[in-house]
Amino acid sequence: MKVAKSKNESAPSQTAIVRKENWLADWLQPNRSRAIILSVIIFLFIVAVGGLVFETGGTGFAWLHLMYLPIILAAAVFRLGGGIIAALVAGLALGPHMPLDVAKGLHQTPSNWIFRVVFFLLVGVFSGLMSNFLNWQIRRLKETNQRLFHAHEELKSAQMKLIQTAKLESIGRLAAGVAHEVKNPLAVIQLGVDYLKNTRTENTSEDTVETVQLMGDAVQRADTVIKGLLNFSRSEPLALVPLDLNTVIEDSLLLVKHELVKNHIALEKQLAGNLSKVELDQNKVKQVFINMFMNAIQAMGGNGTLSVKTSLQSGDVTEQNPSGKIVVLEIADTGAGIPEDKLDKLFEPFFTTKPVGSGTGLGLSVSRNIIEMHRGSITIGNRKQVRGAIVTITFPVPNPKPL
Amino acid sequence: MTKKILIVDDEVGITRMLKRNLEATGRFTVRTENSSVAAVTAAREFLPDFILLDVMMPGMDGGEVAAKIKEDKALSHVPVVFLSAIVKKEETEATGGKIGGSTFLAKPVKLEDLIACIETHIGK
Repeated sequence: MKVAKSKNESAPSQTAIVRKENWLADWLQPNRSRAIILSVIIFLFIVAVGGLVFETGGTGFAWLHLMYLPIILAAAVFRLGGGIIAALVAGLALGPHMPLDVAKGLHQTPSNWIFRVVFFLLVGVFSGLMSNFLNWQIRRLKETNQRLFHAHEELKSAQMKLIQTAKLESIGRLAAGVAHEVKNPLAVIQLGVDYLKNTRTENTSEDTVETVQLMGDAVQRADTVIKGLLNFSRSEPLALVPLDLNTVIEDSLLLVKHELVKNHIALEKQLAGNLSKVELDQNKVKQVFINMFMNAIQAMGGNGTLSVKTSLQSGDVTEQNPSGKIVVLEIADTGAGIPEDKLDKLFEPFFTTKPVGSGTGLGLSVSRNIIEMHRGSITIGNRKQVRGAIVTITFPVPNPKPL
Repeated sequence: MTKKILIVDDEVGITRMLKRNLEATGRFTVRTENSSVAAVTAAREFLPDFILLDVMMPGMDGGEVAAKIKEDKALSHVPVVFLSAIVKKEETEATGGKIGGSTFLAKPVKLEDLIACIETHIGK
């Protein structure tokens, strides 16, 4: 079977192309130190040609034409201004030759010298204009290249998103099917457990009672996983209502209050008073917030501080966010943080850092789906100054509706 | 006097376990049916006080069976509750057990939840 060459084998990398193109651009658009070196070289070149002409017998000799080279070089590097200055310097360098030419009996007048300087200037100006044009073309090419590069990157990212969406959709379909098929046998086991519990007698041993209890717990755990799968596979339309994010956060915090107290976790709230209302599906967003709070509580073990902060910030004006304003929620914990190599996998379905049986690995991917349905964003990282993880959730502020 | 319950689900294990559990309480007489097509005939013969219907069944789904039962004058007053593997327990709780006007119970249903549901509809 013929295997297609990989992209890296068949085409030079983007870096290599950029490097090749920069070689010429670097010399035609030198930095400060390179410009000084080039100026010195050009000056020495002019002096050397002047010396050569002087040594070989005056301006009547062919060596004089070598003077055009530093002028063209100066124009190429320093453009029109460089060409004119080099032409004038070259003209000055020929000045001392006039008495020598006269002494040698050559017919020389100031107009001859002026004539040569004018020629130098013509070459300087013409080369300078060419250099300006070339430089403009390089700049344009660079800009086009940048635009192409960005377009390519955007295309790549859109393609990745598309693949990811298709992957999630197929997982979702599979999940719904699995959920349905597994729930029936689970129902039989649950009812069996109920039957055994309700029909136990005084003679039933403690081991049997415990076994039935463990079976019941296992059914509940399996049911939790199935519920996660169902959540993941569904994409119901949102019931959006303009709401104050702080109120939704307070409501969600109330639901985890017991867990905070039980785990000796302090709560630090900094809820901004100037928040604009955002359009939220209260139940779904609450589900996300509770998920994040519970993750933070579990990450801290049995002591720590849960920080919840909201703010109104300016973002980019985009099609998704025409007002350019975003409401930001930051949830930070003082746990161990997340290993760097796990950070980019956190939102993948079925990925979990929790011990086996403690998490379905679907909470974060479901949460991200919910936030993205709100045209918001969610990121998770480690805190900069202190230990712990931080979740940042943003929601776009809608433009005020016209009356 | 025991209440008559008709349970229709294509999963034999579920109908058998539900029957065993409910009858063990001594408060219910249960008839089970594993074919949705035969369910309407069974209902006409049994004249139950309460019907528990699985939603996804081969042949006719629970909704179609319920519609046929409601068409029968002798059965139109009988409360019908659906048992579904797709609906979640939280959803049935959040909506007071009703979705689109119908009452749903989520699988795997706990016996105590089922009995509470039956009591809500036909009393103790």
